[in-house]
Amino acid sequence: MILHAAYRIAWKDVVGDFRRRSTLSSMLFFAIAALVVFQAAFEPDRKEAVKLLPGLIWVTVLFTSLVGLGRVFQAEEEDGAFEGLLLAPIPREAVFLGKWWGNLSLTALVELMLLPVMLVLFNVDAWAVLPAMFGVLLLGTLGFTALGVLLAALTQGARGRETLLALLLLPLAVPLLIAGVQATAALLGTGGEIAPWVRLILIFDVVYLSLAPWAFGWLVEE
Amino acid sequence: MAHLAADGILYHFGRRMVLRGVSLAAGPGDCQVLFGINGAGKSTLLNILSTRYRLQHGRYLLDGHDASKDAESVRGALLYVGHHTHLYGHLTSLENLRFFADLRGISPAGEELKEAIAAAGLAKAMDRPVRGFSAGMRKRLALARMLLIRPSLLLLDEPYSALDADGVAWLNARLRDYLARGGTLFLATHDPERVAALSPKPLRLVNGRLAEPAAGSDAPSPEPLAVPSSDPGETATP
Repeated sequence: MILHAAYRIAWKDVVGDFRRRSTLSSMLFFAIAALVVFQAAFEPDRKEAVKLLPGLIWVTVLFTSLVGLGRVFQAEEEDGAFEGLLLAPIPREAVFLGKWWGNLSLTALVELMLLPVMLVLFNVDAWAVLPAMFGVLLLGTLGFTALGVLLAALTQGARGRETLLALLLLPLAVPLLIAGVQATAALLGTGGEIAPWVRLILIFDVVYLSLAPWAFGWLVEE
Repeated sequence: MAHLAADGILYHFGRRMVLRGVSLAAGPGDCQVLFGINGAGKSTLLNILSTRYRLQHGRYLLDGHDASKDAESVRGALLYVGHHTHLYGHLTSLENLRFFADLRGISPAGEELKEAIAAAGLAKAMDRPVRGFSAGMRKRLALARMLLIRPSLLLLDEPYSALDADGVAWLNARLRDYLARGGTLFLATHDPERVAALSPKPLRLVNGRLAEPAAGSDAPSPEPLAVPSSDPGETATP
């Protein structure tokens, strides 16, 4: 029942986004614009590009996620729909899971489209490790989006909520960012071992995913 | 159907005490209507009965489920339609009702959903996104939910607002049918004439307490125009 309810909430968010063509297109546009600016600013040769790529990937994904997270409760602002979710006879955790899955699906889709564009734009021959890079990125995205959805719920009623969301989220995401960059660098052969960094990402995922649903339930009670 | 018992409900927003010990009881087929001036606490009381607001003090049982300990079971037995319709603009009428049913763990057939929408007078708008609906159409669709789940307790806050004359007649017919089947209805309104068709038991919220009008008098007493002021002498204890 919890999983089914969460699936339906996520379905509603993803379908809504495809119909409104809002979040996904904004995220994609932002991500590609950021990459083009990076390319124009650094003009890296192939060797430099391989070194820069891990940081660029994660920074781009981090800021792109903020675009999506800022709108994660947008559909619920209309006509008290968030209150409607809270009045359903389901645990608060199911509401959190549904919102998280919805955001995760859109973010993962953007990442999937972003990685090949990045390799072409920066002329880096890393097609062989592309699936592994996506895997690491997705692993980091699990924890990052869970934390983001929680903070989006916290800031949804605030004035200037997108700024507030960024201010709260970015410092908390820095450890995950460092671990992600190092793991991606290891995949591209410019870093050390990958295993310790992946373990660190997993630890953050477990912590964020254990605490966020519980904190969400506490946060939405009046 | 519903057996509701609430005792000693207190509720405050910050230092302003809104409810000061409300006790209620209702059984199957009961229709109770809350009257009171703006800010009297009618919506707050309905929000507490719906479990949207957590009980700060007192006890509330619905069908034996304690709202403080088992809010999910209480929510599963009731339907609350308040000032907001809780509809998603990007979904169609049909999708909105199916989403609502899914979150309640029921899987009505497509025909059942269509019948509920048609009964609300929205047959022609079944596959249209709700975003373009008028306030009255939204209200009708929100109220059509009660035809799907047949809750044992129905909580309505100003249900007649935005409805035209046909809508009011439709709603009252549905509510009479609901009560005849043993449902329990709590309704807050400023419109005693429209609700009179349901032969309700009137209740009045005055200074955060519930008062029944004198015996033999169903009509609520005239309402003063002023909203309650926050009286420093009657604030909540920190």
